[in-house]
Amino acid sequence: MNGLVVGGLLGLVALGLALIFGVMRVINFAHGEFITLGAYITWLLAGALGLNPLLGIPLAFVVTAALGYVVQALLIARLAGRPPLDMLMVTYALSIIGLGLFALGFGGDFRSYSTGPAGELRLAGVSIGLRSLTVLIVCAALSVAVLAVLRSARIGLALRAVAMNRDAAAGCGINVRRTERAAFSLAVGLAGAAGALVSLIGTTTPAVGHDLVLDGFVVVVIGGMGSIGGALMAACAIGVIQSFSGFALDDSWARIITYVLLYATLMVRPQGLLGRAPA
Amino acid sequence: MRKTIEIVAIAIIAAILAFALPRLGVSPYLRTLVYYSAFYLALGQAWNLMSGLTGYVSFAHGALAGIGAYAAVMALNADWSVAESLVLAAAVTMLISLLIGVTSLRLRGVSFTFATLFFQQLALLVLRKLPASGGPGGLALEEIFPVWLPHALMLALAAAATILMLLVRGSRLGIRLLAIKGDEDAAVAVGIAATRLKLGVFCASAAIAALAGAVHGLFAASLYPDVVFSIDFSLVALAVPMIGGVATAFGPVIGAVFYVGLGELLQIYAPSLHLTVIGLLLVCIVLFLPAGLAPGLAAILPRPAAGRLKPVREG
Repeated sequence: MNGLVVGGLLGLVALGLALIFGVMRVINFAHGEFITLGAYITWLLAGALGLNPLLGIPLAFVVTAALGYVVQALLIARLAGRPPLDMLMVTYALSIIGLGLFALGFGGDFRSYSTGPAGELRLAGVSIGLRSLTVLIVCAALSVAVLAVLRSARIGLALRAVAMNRDAAAGCGINVRRTERAAFSLAVGLAGAAGALVSLIGTTTPAVGHDLVLDGFVVVVIGGMGSIGGALMAACAIGVIQSFSGFALDDSWARIITYVLLYATLMVRPQGLLGRAPA
Repeated sequence: MRKTIEIVAIAIIAAILAFALPRLGVSPYLRTLVYYSAFYLALGQAWNLMSGLTGYVSFAHGALAGIGAYAAVMALNADWSVAESLVLAAAVTMLISLLIGVTSLRLRGVSFTFATLFFQQLALLVLRKLPASGGPGGLALEEIFPVWLPHALMLALAAAATILMLLVRGSRLGIRLLAIKGDEDAAVAVGIAATRLKLGVFCASAAIAALAGAVHGLFAASLYPDVVFSIDFSLVALAVPMIGGVATAFGPVIGAVFYVGLGELLQIYAPSLHLTVIGLLLVCIVLFLPAGLAPGLAAILPRPAAGRLKPVREG
């Protein structure tokens, strides 16, 4: 069960990373800091104000999406056409700015709260914590919603068109800049929502998102850069593998196995499980 | 001719810093700052040689230095001589870099960056698990060396790395590497063996990083895995050339001095803002000074020196 929860969270994170990479060809190293922001927003809401942490999920989504919109407009969009090294540096720099600010604002303490869903549900001999169940349901609902938007909504079509061929999409009258902004905003919004869920089942620290996003990158590489289906599939697989090997051995070995799997994928199938082979 | 003068000048400056400073009564604090500048310069030049010239960004140079440090300290504790330990550190790290390179450098684009990013984590996890490396508690050097030894070795290494960068930058090899950065398909089309060159340069770069780490192991005398493999040293390796000027020989010198000086100022005035300020600095440099601080300085300096600081246009 734990594996599914981890897989669901990784899926949300990887969905965002794949969206950003697919549409903008940018690796967002700052993604983890948006997760952390979402977690702290929820902690402030539930721990400091005593409100229901479930309210934190939409709030974290909206706040991080708005911040992502500003970051994209002010920074990322200005770097269009510059060498990829510059883009890498800027998202990486944003990540360490965030890490520093979180450590400054919240200190290194482990933050958690006791409001919100509690207890566990027994069903046919299997017991599951209500919090874990909530995380699972929200992850599934959000992923399905994003997939539905990508499949049929106008903006979803625009996103897919830009991901396939930027110039041709622009030629068809799609506003590429606006589409890119929407992709970044939606993706970091998902990261914020994932952060809210992380704060629900675990503790919040300044580096909580930073650690989660590393696994998110593993998922994206294994699933195939920019392939959303591949990312979701790989997220579930990694979640299950990590929880099984974490159970049989220990947490560090679980991570070592994950990384070795990643190198094996890079060796055997560099484009990832579902990624398209480079032209 | 000019290049010979520059090489001799680098060697003389390094020698003065290594041997004259203690005799001139310079305070140990200032000498430590000189040492750290040399350490960061060596790391930065290692990164510059690979990532600066080929455009393949590495996040693993801190980890490569860490492996060098572990290898050297373990060898020294097994009663190897300093020279043997340094050679071992470089050799082990080159082998490991070959492994990373073979899995990821055959590919274009971001695979290499990801492979190096995860390598940092993998190295930390594995070293914490291995009993031989002392686990999470780390390793201590049994024999304590006089402080002038790591100082002199690090300055020599930093000077050698800078000279190497100067030579490569002006050679056919350097032009080939820059061609890979500019347009790899075009480079391959004109007959440049891109994969082999990338692998070779990555190995050389890893060896420099390993030596820097190994000498730092002599200096620090105790290694804690969480410190040695923290992302900080990888950050130093890429920030130093980014600040000074990527793919230039003298840019990282400016970058290293600037980074150490800034670090000291932050330590005094805003110790908790260290990461944030470095991040903001990197953002500003990418946005407003994409070629680094060096070209700005080049505009002020007399012409011969200015030529060496000129940025390389990226395609």
